[in-house]
Amino acid sequence: MPEVRAMAEKLNVGGQGSPFAPEEAEILGVADLTALEKLFKLRLTGGRSLGHAPGQFVEVSVPGFGEAPISICSSPTQREIFELCVRKAGTVTAALHGLKAGDRIGVRGPMGRGFDVEEMAGNDMLFVAGGLGLAPLRSLINYVFDRRERFGKVWILYGAKTPQELLFTNEFDAWRKQPGTELMLTVDRPDENWRGTAGVITVLFRKLPKVDPKRTYVAVVGPPVMYKFVLLETLSLKIPRNRIFCSLERHMRCGVGRCGHCQINNVYVCKEGPVFRFSQMESLPESFA
Amino acid sequence: MERVVTAKDLAALADDMLRAGRTVAGPVRRKERYFYEAVSRGADLAFDFNYCVYSPRSFFFPPGETLLTYSIGTNELNVAPEAPRTSPVIMGVHPCDCNAIGLLDAVFGSGVPDDHYLARRKDSVVVAVDCHGPCDPTAFCRDMGGNEAQEGFDVMLTPLNGGKGQAAERYLAAAATERGRELLAYNKVGKEPARADRDAAEKFREAKAANFSRRLPYAVEKLPAILDRSYNSLLWQVTAKRCYSCGSCNLVCPTCYCFTVKDVPDLSCASGKRVREWDGCQLQDFATVAGGHNFRPESSSRLRHRIFRKGKWIKEQQGRMGCVGCGRCDRACTAKISVVEIYTQLAEEA
Ligand SMILES: Cc1cc2nc3c(=O)[nH]c(=O)nc-3n(C[C@H](O)[C@H](O)[C@H](O)COP(=O)(O)OP(=O)(O)OC[C@H]3O[C@@H](n4cnc5c(N)ncnc54)[C@H](O)[C@@H]3O)c2cc1C
Ligand code: SF4
Ligand code: SF4
Ligand code: FES
Repeated sequence: MPEVRAMAEKLNVGGQGSPFAPEEAEILGVADLTALEKLFKLRLTGGRSLGHAPGQFVEVSVPGFGEAPISICSSPTQREIFELCVRKAGTVTAALHGLKAGDRIGVRGPMGRGFDVEEMAGNDMLFVAGGLGLAPLRSLINYVFDRRERFGKVWILYGAKTPQELLFTNEFDAWRKQPGTELMLTVDRPDENWRGTAGVITVLFRKLPKVDPKRTYVAVVGPPVMYKFVLLETLSLKIPRNRIFCSLERHMRCGVGRCGHCQINNVYVCKEGPVFRFSQMESLPESFA
Repeated sequence: MERVVTAKDLAALADDMLRAGRTVAGPVRRKERYFYEAVSRGADLAFDFNYCVYSPRSFFFPPGETLLTYSIGTNELNVAPEAPRTSPVIMGVHPCDCNAIGLLDAVFGSGVPDDHYLARRKDSVVVAVDCHGPCDPTAFCRDMGGNEAQEGFDVMLTPLNGGKGQAAERYLAAAATERGRELLAYNKVGKEPARADRDAAEKFREAKAANFSRRLPYAVEKLPAILDRSYNSLLWQVTAKRCYSCGSCNLVCPTCYCFTVKDVPDLSCASGKRVREWDGCQLQDFATVAGGHNFRPESSSRLRHRIFRKGKWIKEQQGRMGCVGCGRCDRACTAKISVVEIYTQLAEEA
């Protein structure tokens, strides 16, 4: 009789309940950011603070419509509330767009791994955001500004398709007023009122003042096509690969490393990501798919 | 605990379990083929089958199951998790499928435990029946180590007669777990084994070892390294050209556990349920996100993904091979894409 390795008796039947059971959250306010994106201000009705790290996400539930992973776009320094910036992209996100203050939704999380803010502290920060990528980065940007004395210079490079698609424009002035901070914008397709830079995000690197590669951390979030080009730029700045962080979007169905949808090579983005170091991504060819 | 049981004893035991209110399932003959099905009488169970078309995973991880129920339209979030209540007794599981159950136990029991799976698995009893040789020419379980049950069963039945086309009538039933002992103690099924019975079981195992041969030209321990060297092989494209992306290989695989989750409102739209359904990494849109970007748009990248999971990544994550060599995917594939052939060809070029 062969030795039975893991007897079913030892199965970890947790009674922790379903990993799919959401917590209730109340919508405190909804604001239009663009034609497609809305900002939701939320609070867990159980009174618990979400307690996330910048870069983490939640699975948002709208019963009858489903679940979708959404980055937390507020800084963890705001303990009582959290914010989500949601683009209307399909079933769940459209249902969210139909909700108003006072409505309740479901939330699971925070999930995944965010940016390592402790390691970043004491250094200069270069943020590179494309389109909706500014949402997860805003959490880190506002965290850095809330702990301004712990960080050095800050550069924010942000690109969108058109001026109308720029997110969080009402916060730009506050960011610019921060000491040692530069906000640089570009749009692919300017209109007659646009007086800033035109072109894809990489053009902003031409205008970037000299960065000290020994004391700079980079955080990049944008659409898949953006990464290769931006990473080449950051590499030519000679910033070490383990100090370049990217957040990867993938199809997600469970958020707990099981459904298989978010996998890149042997790694589950929902568990080990969505934030990865470039040094890690190099051994995961599918992260550039 | 060991007992000697006849096929009749096993049928009677199944009837006892049914009377005790348990769900009993096992191989059932449908025309020329066998399927795992819930039965209403023990006599319908076949212990002397070649293979079952589908694996028994559906009893623990059903093709579709309700995770939550909810009501819609109320201001409050009104969601209740669904707790499965059936923990089946499955009688007649071959070693490959036992090992696959062991893998699923590890997958659903580790990390954030999945109580939906575990609730079904918790009080289940798996009665394995040993096989005397490859159940089909497509099987390569000997290479994968799948033909010796390591885990995922409570009782092992070793045939004491039959073989070579003859149905076995007597088995040595050996309990491997406490639940297995409980099952065999139930109504004191069968009788105490005699010396001759143990000898017959030993003879069966010797014959079994001789009946299986390797199909891979190398030991499976080398497979992860071979795959590592083959990530950019042209073989993925050459082979995947034939793939229809139908997902049949995923459907029949005892170790596939990818799924999707979706909401199904009822007709009144006042309430509904969130359901989990099997999904397959070979399907075209498995890695597509909203907006339409597909991270694995080519069938070659999807084929490579499946083969790497089965031959390397699951082993790294769960300490067990992600493939037990049952041969089901080969049989299911209309394009004649064969895992064992891919493993062999990769070694030739690596
Ligand atoms: C970690 C992470 C963070 C994210 N953060 C944000 C955020 O902060 N804000 C935000 O707005 N979005 C964010 N997203 C994206 C967001 O999750 C998706 O937009 C959302 O899941 C869409 O769900 P839906 O039900 O609205 O769309 P649906 O249209 O229902 O899409 C749901 C699924 O349908 C499938 N699908 C979509 N299009 C196609 C197609 N063309 N062909 C086949 N199948 C298709 C996809 O598999 C998709 O996942 C994030 C995603 C991830 C993974
Ligand atoms: S069964 Fe064959 S054709 Fe269908 S997806 Fe699998 S490999 Fe492709
Ligand atoms: S990959 Fe094929 S041979 Fe391996 S366990 Fe799955 S169905 Fe069986
Ligand atoms: S979302 Fe299911 S494994 Fe990551």
